[in-house]
Amino acid sequence: MSAIDADDVTLTYADGTEAVRGVSLDIPEGEFFGFLGPNGAGKTTAIKTFTTLLCPTSGSVTVNGFDVVEESRAVRESIGYMAQETSIDPELTARENIRFACEAYGVPRGERAERIDELLDLVELAAAADKESGEFSGGMKKRLDAAMALVHRPPLVFLDEPTTGLDPKARNRLWEYFRRINEAGTTIFLTTQYLEEADQLCERIAVISDGEIVATGSPGELKRRVGGEILDIDLDGGAAARERAAEIAADSDLFGDGAGVETTAAGITVTSRRAREAGTDLLVALRDDGLTVTGFNIRAPTLDDVFLAITGDGADGGATDTDRDADGASGADGAGTAPAAADGGTGR
Amino acid sequence: MSPADADGEPGGEQGVADAVAATDAVAATGSTTAADGGTTGATAGAGTGPRRSVTRRSSNSFLGDAWVNVKRWNLKAVRNPFVLVVSLVQPIIFLVLFTQVFGQVATGAINQGAGDISYETYLVPAIVIQVSLAAAITSGIGLVNDIEEGMFEKVLVTPMSRAAVFTGKTAAEVARIAVQIAIILGLGVLLGAEITTGIAGALGIIAVGVLFSLWFVSLSNSLAVLTRDQESTIIAMNLLQFPLLFLSSAFLPLDSLPEWIQTFARYNPVTYGVDAARALMLDADVMTVLGVAAFSEVWNTLVPALAVLGALDLGLGAIAVYLLGRASSASAR
Repeated sequence: MSAIDADDVTLTYADGTEAVRGVSLDIPEGEFFGFLGPNGAGKTTAIKTFTTLLCPTSGSVTVNGFDVVEESRAVRESIGYMAQETSIDPELTARENIRFACEAYGVPRGERAERIDELLDLVELAAAADKESGEFSGGMKKRLDAAMALVHRPPLVFLDEPTTGLDPKARNRLWEYFRRINEAGTTIFLTTQYLEEADQLCERIAVISDGEIVATGSPGELKRRVGGEILDIDLDGGAAARERAAEIAADSDLFGDGAGVETTAAGITVTSRRAREAGTDLLVALRDDGLTVTGFNIRAPTLDDVFLAITGDGADGGATDTDRDADGASGADGAGTAPAAADGGTGR
Repeated sequence: MSPADADGEPGGEQGVADAVAATDAVAATGSTTAADGGTTGATAGAGTGPRRSVTRRSSNSFLGDAWVNVKRWNLKAVRNPFVLVVSLVQPIIFLVLFTQVFGQVATGAINQGAGDISYETYLVPAIVIQVSLAAAITSGIGLVNDIEEGMFEKVLVTPMSRAAVFTGKTAAEVARIAVQIAIILGLGVLLGAEITTGIAGALGIIAVGVLFSLWFVSLSNSLAVLTRDQESTIIAMNLLQFPLLFLSSAFLPLDSLPEWIQTFARYNPVTYGVDAARALMLDADVMTVLGVAAFSEVWNTLVPALAVLGALDLGLGAIAVYLLGRASSASAR
């Protein structure tokens, strides 16, 4: 039996917005599945449809074998859900929050105390268990939120952008919990804006854009569609130098077939499976040609790159790296982009 | 209130799921079969039949669910006694100031024919209703906070009955209102007010206050769902509070007030709440806006007043339930 079986689901809001347009999914039990897409792609709407918070406009969804419309209460009993916005009662302590969740999900009375301690340990909040959760840091609140979604040991957990707004350390800890519950057999449905996150956690990813699934596959498959890693080179010398550099990169056979070379505002970008091996050779070739390289960077493909490769259009209708960096500066996004560069450096 | 509440339970599955046991292992050890990933749970689950069974719920009755929510809202009230105190402060100020400042003048007005009712005795039922109003405002604020903090949605995705969720929240608030009214009654007696009907009457006044509060609780929650904004809810509800109080029989007898106020008071729920509470306070028929003589004495006031308030509670309660139901199922087509 599938954990989630969605058949041609659409969801149109009362104002006419078609947030989800014909999504079909079949997620087997035990899978760590990622829903990858930019803001406004319909990820949250889809997750709310699967968790019975919204009724599909058309199409059908069964979750753990229960129909989300006809058997919504059974669906709710059999899933855990962690919303995008941290959802805890700040006036209650961590322990009280988890106890409330235990009661709400009908965890048998005799098991509650043990379950609460177990979850506090799992998310490493035992030391802060009796403090009011309103005083917690963002990461602690998220961990408490995650614990509340697990009280009834659901076979399927929905995580809606669970690490947005967290610093890399807090995010890595959350990732660790998610891996652990998945390894125990829990199916996980995760939405994210970050290819990096999906890559780290998910066995299979669906890329969603504008309410439709545009690609499905393992993280590796999706990245192969980008065509490898990305080498950004900055150059002095204006448009002429950039054109010349692009010719060298394209002609030199350094990167073999399938490499993509484009000029950018600052220089050129080469997308290739051999970006790492042949990068140095290209730099040497550029110098030999009298060009001045002012900067270079090898990085893993980002969501933007995947989108570009799949749809021919950047995320958010052509967001540039600059846009994304600007987001990062505002706090929410920094966690997603920084580690991508770090991992690239370790030669993953 | 929601079709979802009526639908089938996962029925029949009594045993605790095997899949759950798999999760047990990880929570305890943190590392099970990392190599074969999800297969452990998947196989275990498949063995239990065509439908995966989930952890058996020990309390999924309506009352059980309501009680869970009563406990949460009580805990929040205890955790934040500021709200309880602050919503009492203004009525207490009114009680003290009005009796001291207007006491001399007002006593004449209320005893026009004959009688020797003190203004304290006359005013306490009005303050009781004011407490009901003030406390009811906080109900909507609690709901807005819940929406903003994500708890509203979190609760909607639990298997708890949605009607029970809101019943529990309201029950906790009603209990708080009853305590606050009791405090006001006690204070009133200390200041010299007299409850002619004694303890039974005092309990009756608390009941009237609670019955009265429900329509304002409904209104406050309806506004909360419509605006989803704390400030708008507070401002709108406070704006309503004073005209409702002053344009009623709360502070002075209606026949000593201008004609237009008398007309407004006839349609003002506060008049009915205050008259009912005052009838119990004085053990007399004090209803002025309706001439009912079918019952004996006090009941000529109580029966029509409680009927009006009950009808109002049902009407506004239905609107609130509708709006909450709509908000719960969101704005999808």
